[in-house]
Amino acid sequence: MTALRSTVARLFGKMVAEAPGSPPADFTLAPTTADECAAILDMASEHRLRVLPWGGGTHQGMGGRVEPNVVLITTRLGGMSEDTADLTITAGAGIGAAAMEERLLERRQTALFPEDSGVSTVGGMVASGSSGWRRLRYGPTRDRVIEVVLATGDGRLVRGGARIVKNVTGYDIPRLATGSFGSLGVIVSVSLKLWPMPEAAATVRVDDIGAALIRAYRPLAALETRQGCAIYLSGTPAEVTAQVAELGGNAEEGHAWPGRPTGPFVVAIRVPPASTAAAVGRLPRDAQFVAAHGVGEVIVSLSPDDGETPLALRSWAEDLGGAVVVLAAPVGHGFDPWGTPPASLDLQRRIRAAFDPVGVMVPGRMPGDR
Amino acid sequence: MPAAANLVEDLRRALGAEGVRAEPLDQRLFSKDAGVTRGEVVAVTFPRNAVQVSQVVLIAARHGYPIVARGAGTGLAGGAVPSQPAVLIVTTRMDDVVVDEANRTAWVGPGVINLDLSRRTASLGLHFAPDPSSQAACTLGGNVACNSGGPHCLAEGSTVNHVLAVEFVDARGQILTVGGTAPDPAGLDVRSVVVGSEGTLGVVTRILVKLTPNPPAVKTMLLAFSKVSDAAATVSEVIASGIVPAALEMMDQPMVRAVENFVHADLPVAAAAVLLAEVNGHVAAVDAEADVIISVGRRHGATEVRLAADERERLLMWKARKSAFGAIAQIAPDYYLHDTVIPRNRLVEALEEIYAIARRKDLLVMNVIHAGDGNLHPQLVFDGSVPGQLEIVKSAAVEIVEMSIRLGGTLSGEHGIGLEKRDLMSLVFSAVDLDAQARLREAFDQDHRFNPGTVLPAGSRCFDFGRSVAEGAWV
Ligand SMILES: Cc1cc2nc3c(=O)[nH]c(=O)nc-3n(C[C@H](O)[C@H](O)[C@H](O)COP(=O)(O)OP(=O)(O)OC[C@H]3O[C@@H](n4cnc5c(N)ncnc54)[C@H](O)[C@@H]3O)c2cc1C
Repeated sequence: MTALRSTVARLFGKMVAEAPGSPPADFTLAPTTADECAAILDMASEHRLRVLPWGGGTHQGMGGRVEPNVVLITTRLGGMSEDTADLTITAGAGIGAAAMEERLLERRQTALFPEDSGVSTVGGMVASGSSGWRRLRYGPTRDRVIEVVLATGDGRLVRGGARIVKNVTGYDIPRLATGSFGSLGVIVSVSLKLWPMPEAAATVRVDDIGAALIRAYRPLAALETRQGCAIYLSGTPAEVTAQVAELGGNAEEGHAWPGRPTGPFVVAIRVPPASTAAAVGRLPRDAQFVAAHGVGEVIVSLSPDDGETPLALRSWAEDLGGAVVVLAAPVGHGFDPWGTPPASLDLQRRIRAAFDPVGVMVPGRMPGDR
Repeated sequence: MPAAANLVEDLRRALGAEGVRAEPLDQRLFSKDAGVTRGEVVAVTFPRNAVQVSQVVLIAARHGYPIVARGAGTGLAGGAVPSQPAVLIVTTRMDDVVVDEANRTAWVGPGVINLDLSRRTASLGLHFAPDPSSQAACTLGGNVACNSGGPHCLAEGSTVNHVLAVEFVDARGQILTVGGTAPDPAGLDVRSVVVGSEGTLGVVTRILVKLTPNPPAVKTMLLAFSKVSDAAATVSEVIASGIVPAALEMMDQPMVRAVENFVHADLPVAAAAVLLAEVNGHVAAVDAEADVIISVGRRHGATEVRLAADERERLLMWKARKSAFGAIAQIAPDYYLHDTVIPRNRLVEALEEIYAIARRKDLLVMNVIHAGDGNLHPQLVFDGSVPGQLEIVKSAAVEIVEMSIRLGGTLSGEHGIGLEKRDLMSLVFSAVDLDAQARLREAFDQDHRFNPGTVLPAGSRCFDFGRSVAEGAWV
């Protein structure tokens, strides 16, 4: 360890850093370039050090706990270049997702990242495969990741995809990296396909969300919370006005997005879209939740002491081909973060080994790791 | 080559006599797709389900033959053409459709024809969004393997955006399902890698597709321009203007004339270029969006704007667009249909360069373009019986690829790499990138049993850092 410490000090001394909330580790390093990032991972593979990439720290509650030797902070992996006319953007992993969206909004464009991105980084959003409420209309974030530069677990710099909105050249590594939670390597930069922001927006409160979802033409979102249900619309002013009238609800201009449920123990119930209402029906009476109708996801804050409810929800959801996934849980909480591992687990492990042959990336985090 | 007798016998035992063909005529019929390359087929099999596919995979392995999956054979990149003698798995008998109306999805067999699926779901007000021009013939298995596009993929995205899960048979004969109806399945998104893998990772035996609601209103229009650059500038400005048309297609004059001769749609044959634009959605939205396109077009000098007055006229406009390839057959015996992508604000330069390349090589080129997403389809028309012509055409194709890359684009937007562009992969990917793709392939198919020799150039797997998986690395 002493020899290693002096090697690290010599090679990476300039990168020693701290990140609020990151777990204790032998080395906490913040590279500023792709090459530096790759060099750290090369060293990690050589010395078999467990690596945990750390962006804004907003999604680190997902998956099994990692006990890292190296925390690799991505926030200094910067750089941003837009192609306004082609509606694409390339951004370093460390760019703030909210900051990027703000800049895009000046040109009335959006990457459709979650509406409440907070301190999340672009790299973290992509690595965790996080999508915003508008996915009902625009699909998940994965549909917009067109290019990725990945520093693999053994320190190679691999580019997949291209900065082009339509492309079938080679395997789709950008999509594979989306939602990989660091298990293939560190995402250094990404290119995203953007959408124009429609002119008009409205939120319509409705009583019967199921009926409203059928009546509305391709709304952005159909959300239910303890406070009620709403359909979210956007488009040309004439279209939004017409749709509001058709839905006959109580409408307000703009989008009043609900806050995400918070608490010590938050899970996402994921089921076929038509089973969303049934999932809501199974929640404890007082639990705070947001249900995305038409998508099949219910995010709910549960009591950490109630052992039965999450297990019952999980077995119900898994029977439908879905899952219950932990978004946040107290340290040492016994509920498995992912549930039953996917049938393709062996294949997934071989894919990981293709990018991370030594197995240094986030050991313990992915389904089946423990 | 006569098929190895034992191989055919073993296959017949598994599939029945009607499930295997190995006569010289069969071997020839199935040795080509719609592109220009030919390969060698040992036996052609027609399994009915995943279990039979698995049997074929294992039997072929035992006899030392690779497997090539094939749908309708409309691929243009040689994806279904064996690069070495192979057993074909033709999927046409796997054509079940099970619709789940409540979830707006369907499980379909890979042999289902693209257009048949949308016809089957029309009464429910749903359709499968990707609409390749070959949709009356190509299969969903082929669409999945190529991640196919079509005019309406501008707003809706290519096949991968509409596939929620795939079932496939892997190199060991195992049947695996990846993905599902519920959002964001846990673990790596293996489904996204299988889609677009051109048959190199396994044989797809079932597909869970997302169905899209039919739009309540549609407006389709033709805009004619006296300069190609005006049409191209219109496309760039429409994209930048903040509306996303359902489709935005372009044809140049030689193409328009060929099509007009073929379908008699009263197309503006005097125009240098024609745009076909469509907007769809809520009734209250389409007028405003059509107005934007028309006024942008007028600002760029559109000489004629024609709004389809009724469904008949609308369908005629689309027939004209979708007959582009058929129309060429009248002009010359052979055509080489090319497929590259550029950033959509570089259309003007790209077209000028394509014309210059064709002039230099003394070739006739016709362009039909998915302009809205920068997907070029220059078609080089030639007579293959003239010695040396095909070589000239191929060299022009390479120059078009190089030009597209120079403008910030890439090799293929929808037809795939196959055998056709395999050796051009190093123009866009470094040796390390290609090595990573080769490793990914080997994670699925260590021994290259599926479609060996396609997509990745020989020698891609070249970087071995000499590190192996540590015992217990996953703990
Ligand atoms: C006139 C014409 C117009 C066209 N227009 C378009 C267009 O607009 N957009 C577009 O994207 N393409 C277009 N194409 C190309 C082609 O039609 C598509 O690529 C189509 O998806 C191929 O389907 P297929 O069933 O014919 O596949 P095939 O040609 O039989 O096979 C194509 C590839 O898919 C693989 N494959 C097939 N089935 C399976 C399976 N079950 N499992 C694994 N791998 C499989 C094959 O091995 C091969 O690599 C056009 C072609 C023609 C001839």
